[in-house]
Amino acid sequence: MEESDSVESLCSSTTTRSDRSSGTRVSDTELRSKGRVIEKVLQCKYPSKGELPLLPEEHVQDSAKDVTYICPFIGPVRGSLSVTNYRLFFRCTDREPVFGLDLPLGVLSRVEKIGAATSRGDVSYGLACKDMRNLRFVHKEPEDSLKKSVFEVLMKFAFPVSNNMSLFAFEYKQVFPENGWKVYDPLAEYKRQGLPNESWRISKVNDHYELCDSYPAALVVPVTITDEELRRVSSFRAKGRIPVLSWIHPESQAAVVRASQPMVGQNGRRCKEDEKLLQAIMDANAQSHKMFIFDARPSVNAAANKMKGGGYESEDAYQNAELVFLDIHNIHVMRESLRKLKEVVYPNIEDSHWLSNLESTHWLEHIKLILAGALRIADKVESGKTSVVVHCSDGWDRTPQLTSLALIMLDSHYRTIRGFQILLEKEWLSFGHRFQQRVGHGDKNHTDADRSPIFLQFIDCVWQMTRQFPAAFEFNEYFLITILDHLYSCLFGTFLCNSEQQRLKEEVPKHTVSLWSFVNSQLEEFVNPLYVGYPSHVLFPTVGIRHLQLWVTYYIRWNPRMRPQEPVHQRYKELLAKRAELQKRVEELQREAANRTASSSSERAGSPTRSITPVQTFV
Amino acid sequence: MAFCLLYKPVLQFCEIVVNEANFVRKCIGAESCQDDLWGKLVCTNFKVSFIAHNSLPRQCTHRLLGEHDIPLACVEQVVTVNDVKGKQKILGSNQKLKFNPTELILYCKDFRIIRFRFDEAGPESAKKVCLAIAHYSHPADPQLLFGFEYVGKRYHGSTGERVNGVDPGGGLQTPLFDCSSDWDREIKRTGASEWRVCTINQGYFISPSLPEFFVVPVSLADQDLKQYACCFYSQRIPLWCWNHSSGSALVRMSNISDPQQQRKVEQRISSAITKSHPLRSDVFKSDLDKNLPNIQDIQAALLKLRQICVIDSFEESEEKWLSSLESSRWMEYVRTFLRHAVEVVYMLESRHVSVILLEKEDRDLSCVISCLVQLMCDPHCRSLHSFQGLIQKEWVMAGHRFLDRCNHLKRNDKEESPVFLLFLDCVWQLWNQYPAAFEFTEVYLTVLGDSMWVPVFSTFLFNCPRQRAEHSRDFASSKSIHLGQDQALCFPPVWDWSQQFSLKDQTLFNNPLYVGKIATCVQNGTVKTFTHRRSKKNYSSTLRGLPSALRNGSLGPNDTLTRRNSLMLRLRSDLSQVREQQETPSERFVRDFFSRPVDLQGLLLPQLLPSHLSVWKLYFLRWVPEAQIPQGGPITAFHKLSVLTDEIEMLQNQLRQYQGAAGTPNNLHAEHSKMYFKATSTPHQSPAPPEYLSSSFPFSPVGNLCRPGILGTPLSKLLNGAKIWLSTETLANETI
Repeated sequence: MEESDSVESLCSSTTTRSDRSSGTRVSDTELRSKGRVIEKVLQCKYPSKGELPLLPEEHVQDSAKDVTYICPFIGPVRGSLSVTNYRLFFRCTDREPVFGLDLPLGVLSRVEKIGAATSRGDVSYGLACKDMRNLRFVHKEPEDSLKKSVFEVLMKFAFPVSNNMSLFAFEYKQVFPENGWKVYDPLAEYKRQGLPNESWRISKVNDHYELCDSYPAALVVPVTITDEELRRVSSFRAKGRIPVLSWIHPESQAAVVRASQPMVGQNGRRCKEDEKLLQAIMDANAQSHKMFIFDARPSVNAAANKMKGGGYESEDAYQNAELVFLDIHNIHVMRESLRKLKEVVYPNIEDSHWLSNLESTHWLEHIKLILAGALRIADKVESGKTSVVVHCSDGWDRTPQLTSLALIMLDSHYRTIRGFQILLEKEWLSFGHRFQQRVGHGDKNHTDADRSPIFLQFIDCVWQMTRQFPAAFEFNEYFLITILDHLYSCLFGTFLCNSEQQRLKEEVPKHTVSLWSFVNSQLEEFVNPLYVGYPSHVLFPTVGIRHLQLWVTYYIRWNPRMRPQEPVHQRYKELLAKRAELQKRVEELQREAANRTASSSSERAGSPTRSITPVQTFV
Repeated sequence: MAFCLLYKPVLQFCEIVVNEANFVRKCIGAESCQDDLWGKLVCTNFKVSFIAHNSLPRQCTHRLLGEHDIPLACVEQVVTVNDVKGKQKILGSNQKLKFNPTELILYCKDFRIIRFRFDEAGPESAKKVCLAIAHYSHPADPQLLFGFEYVGKRYHGSTGERVNGVDPGGGLQTPLFDCSSDWDREIKRTGASEWRVCTINQGYFISPSLPEFFVVPVSLADQDLKQYACCFYSQRIPLWCWNHSSGSALVRMSNISDPQQQRKVEQRISSAITKSHPLRSDVFKSDLDKNLPNIQDIQAALLKLRQICVIDSFEESEEKWLSSLESSRWMEYVRTFLRHAVEVVYMLESRHVSVILLEKEDRDLSCVISCLVQLMCDPHCRSLHSFQGLIQKEWVMAGHRFLDRCNHLKRNDKEESPVFLLFLDCVWQLWNQYPAAFEFTEVYLTVLGDSMWVPVFSTFLFNCPRQRAEHSRDFASSKSIHLGQDQALCFPPVWDWSQQFSLKDQTLFNNPLYVGKIATCVQNGTVKTFTHRRSKKNYSSTLRGLPSALRNGSLGPNDTLTRRNSLMLRLRSDLSQVREQQETPSERFVRDFFSRPVDLQGLLLPQLLPSHLSVWKLYFLRWVPEAQIPQGGPITAFHKLSVLTDEIEMLQNQLRQYQGAAGTPNNLHAEHSKMYFKATSTPHQSPAPPEYLSSSFPFSPVGNLCRPGILGTPLSKLLNGAKIWLSTETLANETI
């Protein structure tokens, strides 16, 4: 009982459905969850005035009354502010409807004092968030200068890493019915793809992360290449990230292979083993005598990398391989684009120049290039039956964007809820996308040039595909938003650290809860009722800007003029319930009729010709 | 090849072939001609027809038009080209052509661009057919529009048999508002007891552009109305549109032409409307001309939108798509109309005052606003037949100049304006935001828009009811048609959809999501109601501190919230004051609405953030091959929903069969199903969407968009049906 209660409150506290800065829009689901929260509060461990729905091991660190939140939509709101080791609560109860803010401290990227105190001692604080909003509070400084302001406490707990404390994920000890750390088993996933087979083997060369510390332990490589040769290849590829298999086509045996850039340098260095490896990848696919190397970067950038020892494959060295540049820009460009987007969407949208403002952020253009790149990869594999190698510079940002999107297009398994989790665990987490660096968990250094919304972009691309193919994905939009919310929240261990090796070293699976434990314990929340599982169907989205749209339910969700709803999905669930009800009654009547027929054999039973079998409902 | 001569055009009963050319090639898109179709190009008095000798199967067949047919009324521009001499000419009516055309390009009003090549055709016959098309697409007189022949023929049979299926109102459930009983019903339905049907315009003796029957306040006697009529533009006495449940009325009015009388007449009218309000509330005048774009603005916007959607090359327009879309201003206008309608709704719903829509002629902008207001407030209007009735009431009977706005006679381009299409786009935006609230689909809206260019329907052929009566009387006498009991030729309204589509195809209009009156369907089961989850109490408006006096005249456009600097607001001791400064009462009204769960059977307001309006892709982009999503698009969700709804229908039939005496036999279901996509007999698995579905369904870009920009892309691959995606690689190559 206790347990399920917490699941609900957790669900309502961190995601879009109830946590909105305006606090004035109350949807019916929200009302229900609020009702539950209030019920729970009554039997809470903190029955005093601070009535807050706290998670296990969550403790109030400081509170202050008479704090004013300057809401950009409805103006200043006065209330009380509490800071726990996980989140920030702001409540204003003396207005109708009750206004509240409830956000995990993990979403904060910056907390700063704005200007000097006024004559009355008011100080204002600006909170910049990673989820597209900025909050602003005004608070009277405590007269006793020795006493810490609630905002100083906030800063301490918002950036635990900078203050030598551990992230809340390591304290949170919720137990869920399912253990999400067991979702991904690399060997099982490779087995699903039919690996190992006569051309590909699973190498243990990286078992102790000696070959490459940012790669997973299990690597799939051509059988003709020895571990010794792999070691030599690793010295030729940036950060030791050698070409290994991500996915293999079940029929044509065309493979999607990922890597980092070759260390060609200005002198055009070559590596015999690397050339042999790529040849072996090509040979593993009997259907084609050619292969494509997709370099995610603009060619200018790729060339510039030669100055730093990197570069790209020359066509002399790699016979039969065609090199294609995909023109996707680097992490700095993407960060800048998102910054501009935030300016355009928060807090308010300028009515008259919305479209040109949106265009000037280039956000959709970047989304388009990424999707177009993934589409070309998927098309080569599916229609051209050729194997492809994908890399960027280090192979941990643009490369997983491209490979995982191409895999979603090619393999319907990755469009299921569990399949998508496996895809993230595999392509992003095990292959070392640097989540800690890119997100900056618990780190106050908000200007860190390593931060970049690479993963957000990927999720955005997935969302674009779900719009174009509303029946092809098992998960709904809420699933994607939940993933993004917990990317920042630091409640779960899933997105902590930079690599598989680091996560093992920190014993993340042992000490934290997986996001998938939470998700898989209430799957029905995340199911797209329109999903039709057609197994061998390849998706080719249209990547034109005409068909891309800004994900307003994510980027603009804080605006009170915006209504979050999935009316079609809601309606579909209602229809399912109705069908179930009708089915039940038809079956009852059928049974009655059958009984009657049995009793009087002279009567003819008019049984319907078309029968309907029960289908599970999600209501 | 010779046997293509055997192919004959499919003609309507009264259709005649004017000219034709053989060995014509219809371009399918690529510069290479390998996919082009060979056949005969025919010009009739109704359409441009192309009879290919091997045509592709079509999903949705039109009863009046074949796959390659274009009604003459749909032809916007006829361009002839001679690519050897490098000459090009836009052909009008009765013009000469000094060169032999090698190519004919037809730019259509529905955004298609169709190309024919005459490389193998005889030069003279090619020239003749081009001239014929140009001539017949510019009829000199309305009575030359095909509808007259089409309808006139029905009176010719000696036995009085009716051909062409004209059945005025007979099997139709759509009220046409051409008789006083339809108005009476509407008065009763909306509880407008202080309003009455006025018959002084019978025979159109008072106003040439008003209908014979309309509704006025009971306190105004016929004598008064006759007296006031002369003060109004075109003697248009103010028209009642609709009553809100609070008793507030929505009225439309033209400008008062006599400035000396203005004050007095205005006051009389206002006080009469006030008297008809149960609370004797004030009247608010909403000046549409001041607040909305005019018809030329709207026309200019559509032309720009067309330019970027279908004329500019896909790749080039791709880069600047968003800013070009913005500079076309189409979306902005859509939003402006919706926003204005919301302001009017606020007045009716929250301020409980009656509203007069004021427009110079009261024949364009008022039609849009009054319909939108009713769609937002009145769930009744969201059913298919009531929506059609609404268009009858506010467009056809109120005298929207369809003939001029469609420019069917191609006489005055200044009068041409897609006001009705803009309205359909506004409805689509509402539909897109609340898809379960409407009985119809976006296919319905698209087809309705296209029907403007099929010139046989009373709906879109005339400027006002009187013009229809006069023309059909004249036509009848000139052709010595004996009208019998009818007073005028009976044109079918567009609502007689069987004129155009089979019953099966018409099921594409039915929205599987529609909530409607479905809630009462399960009587004693556990599932009792689906629609209402909100108690009525929550409805009560919490508006406080309204400014005491209304500003006179127009609604201010300053409803935008202050942007970034709102963070800099100085704190005040009284917080509520600050809020009021920030937010107008109507904004508060909108925000209140969005803070509550929506009731699909109640008030619906659109989200007006510019980020929340989208391009109506099915209408504007359906012909663009590069913009097509093979096996994707909203239709795939529609498919799944239809199947589920069909299963529910089937179960309900079974129940009825079990419960009731003499139930309909089960196998009748398939014919009577309202859904286009039916449940399969093996429902163990959700059926995958059929392969032919695409985001353009039921339309197809193949052969319908031959602009210069796409020449050279291997569209040929699109023709191979299931293997459509082969082209994605090439397309992607070019998008980058």
